[in-house]
Amino acid sequence: MNGTMKHIALLAVALLAATCLYAQEPQNTPQPLMPGESPKPTKYVAVEEEKKHLVFFQGFTLSVDAYGPISYAVSDYGTAEGALRLNLKNTFFPIIEAGYGKCTKDDFNTKVKYQVSAPFGRVGIDINLLKNKFQANRLYVGVRYGLSVFKYDMSGPAITDPYWGGSEAFNKKGISCTSHWAEFVFGVQVKIFKNFHMGWAVRYKKEISSTKSDFAKPNCIPGYGYTTDETCWGGTYSLIFDLNWGLKKSHKRGVNIDIRDIPQQNNKIQQTEQKNKNEEKEGEIDNEERNEERTGEPGTEQSAEEGGKE
Amino acid sequence: MLMLAGCYSNNCPLENTVTCNYGFYDAAGTPITYVDTITVTTLKPGYKTVYIYRKLGNVTVTKDYPDSTLTAQGYSETAVRQRKDTILRNKQYDISTLKVPMSFYHNADTLVFAYGRISLRDTLVIQHDSYPYVELPECGTYRFHTLKSITATDAAIDHVEIIQPKVNYDGETNVKIYFNGVVE
Repeated sequence: MNGTMKHIALLAVALLAATCLYAQEPQNTPQPLMPGESPKPTKYVAVEEEKKHLVFFQGFTLSVDAYGPISYAVSDYGTAEGALRLNLKNTFFPIIEAGYGKCTKDDFNTKVKYQVSAPFGRVGIDINLLKNKFQANRLYVGVRYGLSVFKYDMSGPAITDPYWGGSEAFNKKGISCTSHWAEFVFGVQVKIFKNFHMGWAVRYKKEISSTKSDFAKPNCIPGYGYTTDETCWGGTYSLIFDLNWGLKKSHKRGVNIDIRDIPQQNNKIQQTEQKNKNEEKEGEIDNEERNEERTGEPGTEQSAEEGGKE
Repeated sequence: MLMLAGCYSNNCPLENTVTCNYGFYDAAGTPITYVDTITVTTLKPGYKTVYIYRKLGNVTVTKDYPDSTLTAQGYSETAVRQRKDTILRNKQYDISTLKVPMSFYHNADTLVFAYGRISLRDTLVIQHDSYPYVELPECGTYRFHTLKSITATDAAIDHVEIIQPKVNYDGETNVKIYFNGVVE
């Protein structure tokens, strides 16, 4: 008998404890609201969601410039150049550019001729300004450091000494020069088809230094452009090949608190409240219809009942 | 693209006359303005024959060609072989600087300074190198010079000094000429 009572007491304690534990569990589902009760504001709602992350190294892109050859076809100066670019989180793009520049200028008035053809190189970085880093399109700014070591030829017609007389043509070949310059880049890039992108960029260039010669100043620097002013503008139209066929993504699970979930939760509560109200109204209409069927006078019985209650 | 290719301006120097610039100083190094007239003549390659006509009590006349009318008037004619010359600056007065061109294809220029108030002349011999220079093809070719040495006689000049050997169109003073005497 004592053993049976002991078992009953233990069972009662265990049930009580289980009730208490159940009460401590979080109640994520909203409780149905009574008519006329407003939902309590929820500050934070924990939502477990899946968040996408870009891996740090996204791969390489190769590009060639289409503007340089066209520029040479329509003017005295042009380049043929390509670039290898790293993609870091689709945000930072360290880049190496290399090419070959050519300039042949023969001035119609002075008959002075300038010729240069030499390689050049640039290093720098682009930064993607778009907020959504998952898309393939890019709007970027960047900087470059450019270097070219070259030799140029300069020749001109004979000039006559007006006082002492004499005449001699000017023809200097292989004048050595090393030029450094900086560039500021602004450009866009859009996805055309699969891993093929196209984009243009405008470049503002400033000459840092060039080797001075006694005979002539280089009129045009491969990779930089004309030295008529202290600064110059340039541009590229790039055909870009993404060697990774899209972005690499990693998936990470975690609990994130998203402010967007609060109105959703409140909406659910409001929807529940509205649903309850609608059910109440439907119930009242059904009662009225039943009363009408019984008495033939709408609302008589309910009014009498209500009056009786009061 | 065409705009980028066509946006090209001409930046040729406005002051593009290449001259050797002389500054005038007294013997102590004070900048001065030379109040007398100065005529600068340079000797050119080759020789010429000049004809000198003298007559007692008359001014001596020098001509580059024989003049029979002067001989008819009683002048005696003397033919002399001289170096060819040309006047670079004629009767400049009240000047503190002097801009004189340099020869393009000779290693030395000889300048003769003639003064208005003294009969003596000074001769400057300037050794230099000349080379062509192109700033931009559309600006054409200039001849720049590098001064190597300069010597002068001492009729009115105390001494001379090269302070900027590069002769171009920048307008810097290249040579200081120190005249005799000190300004009080």
